[in-house]
Amino acid sequence: MERNVLAYVLVYLFLAVVFAFFVGPLLWLFLSAFDPNASPVFEIPSHFTLDNFKKLLVPVGNVIPLQWILNSLIISLSAATIATLVSVISAYVFARYTFKGQGAMLTTFVILRLVPPIVIALPIMMLYNWWGLINTYLGAILVIAALITPFALLIAESFFRSLPVEYEEAAMVDGCSRLGAFMRVTLHLAIPGITTIWLLSFVTAWSQFVIPLMILKNPALMPASVGLSYFFGEYGRVDYGRLSAFSLLFSLPVIIIFLSIQKYLRKGIAGLVSR
Amino acid sequence: MAQGKNEGIFQAHEDLSSGGMIDKLASFFEGRGAFLFLVPALVLIGIFVIFPVVWDVYISMTNASLVGPSAKHYIFIGTQNYFRLFQDFLFLNSLKVSFAFTVLSALIGQAILGLALALVMRMEGIKGKILVATVVFIAWVIPEVVAGYAWSAVTDKQGLVSAILSFFGVKTEYSLYFTHPFEVIVVANIWRGTAFSMILFTAALEGIPKYIYEAAEVDGATPWQRFKYVVFPLISQAILVDFILITIWTFGVFTLPYMILGPGGGIGNAGQLWTLYIYFKAINNFDIALAAAASNVMFVIVLALILAYLWSMKYFRRW
Repeated sequence: MERNVLAYVLVYLFLAVVFAFFVGPLLWLFLSAFDPNASPVFEIPSHFTLDNFKKLLVPVGNVIPLQWILNSLIISLSAATIATLVSVISAYVFARYTFKGQGAMLTTFVILRLVPPIVIALPIMMLYNWWGLINTYLGAILVIAALITPFALLIAESFFRSLPVEYEEAAMVDGCSRLGAFMRVTLHLAIPGITTIWLLSFVTAWSQFVIPLMILKNPALMPASVGLSYFFGEYGRVDYGRLSAFSLLFSLPVIIIFLSIQKYLRKGIAGLVSR
Repeated sequence: MAQGKNEGIFQAHEDLSSGGMIDKLASFFEGRGAFLFLVPALVLIGIFVIFPVVWDVYISMTNASLVGPSAKHYIFIGTQNYFRLFQDFLFLNSLKVSFAFTVLSALIGQAILGLALALVMRMEGIKGKILVATVVFIAWVIPEVVAGYAWSAVTDKQGLVSAILSFFGVKTEYSLYFTHPFEVIVVANIWRGTAFSMILFTAALEGIPKYIYEAAEVDGATPWQRFKYVVFPLISQAILVDFILITIWTFGVFTLPYMILGPGGGIGNAGQLWTLYIYFKAINNFDIALAAAASNVMFVIVLALILAYLWSMKYFRRW
């Protein structure tokens, strides 16, 4: 019994230390966003204020920080939608047909999904100079969509495989063409899965950094991630309150989306071990 | 299987192709037509991912530069850049730093902390464990730039970590990211990435039936023996998968150290990972060709790791 008590004390001690370690930086971020005199010092603000958030409308250089959030929205919404569309239709083909080179293509997607973005950031920057896509939303949207596609495609493929083929067959027996069966039956059944894929694509696009850093040099076009580093690095004196407020605003959609698809994410990660 | 009609690269699954009620469009779709569905994805990936990787190989064999006359008109110079690369002290340094960073922050830090947390999550009657798991999870999902910003603030000379250190009597005159760049990014990356290992191991532990564990307990095994002889062998596959994946990811980390240390990687380049090296060479030194050579070398290393992952998955599936 005594051993048990000791074990529990140790477990709680461990949890307390881990909790402090993980919550520390997050709590500082939160508190400093509402602190009128924010600094790296970890402290409860003398009073809580929303001024730091209001200051997101005050220009840095000649761009207001809120513009960066807007840019992130434009880029991520478009990239996630393109990636979801192209991966869902091709994942259907991967899941329902067998053809030459199928296995090799899927393996290539697994490889591409794991390659660090820095590897393509550099050649993309050079190619974009050549193609005239540097400093354009379109350039950023296309490369980010392309980066997310292998990942979205693999999830979509396993999702379609898990959908029973019988519903499609039934629709076809009732006179639906295969295309019709796909559009009317399979896509409908797949809506929850497709939504999850879109959300995952969106958060992945939202957090992209190194590629936009290299191809969007114009502050007016920067997404929030690059804007934050620009904001942080360019000026001698760091305005911590404003940066933290900006960071909170920038993190909020991701936190909400991830907490709402947590269960799916756990299943996906569990699937990495036993397939 | 219905032969004849479906010949070509596509063959529909037997159960789908046996019906005879297909109109013209559908029969087009049954056969090669379905291939059209693959085109957008393949074109997108081909132009914006595969082609750049190939292009990078070409650039690494030229004298291309970011500015100056050789920015527009570069010439082919063969493998010279690769010789230059392996003679560059900074590159060899960045390999060493990346290797140490991966071992310490991922294989030791994230994996052990993640496993410990997963074991605690499995215990019954522990209050507050969900709260801890949620905070660990949030640290993993917030944008990496934000994580980097927060860590540069808490390791500032006035920041939280310095305050805690001085509470324990360790005086810090300068910011920690200035005096201990490597240690700071290692700790920050443990903070950032532990959630993945925790979730993976939690899932693996849930797969172990309770009765196996209880049987060992009845037989009088101590907690350590139970872990060593019962739990560990059953989650060894998860451990291998975890090791390979976090190695690949940690090896490619760029944003977090970039935000905390900048592309130079801090004093004496002590925290200059190969990812920062590539950026530093290309953007700060304008030496694009050398940076391209470096990213190709690293691509090959990452590829080898990924193939190891794929192989291990196959190996375990045979069991």
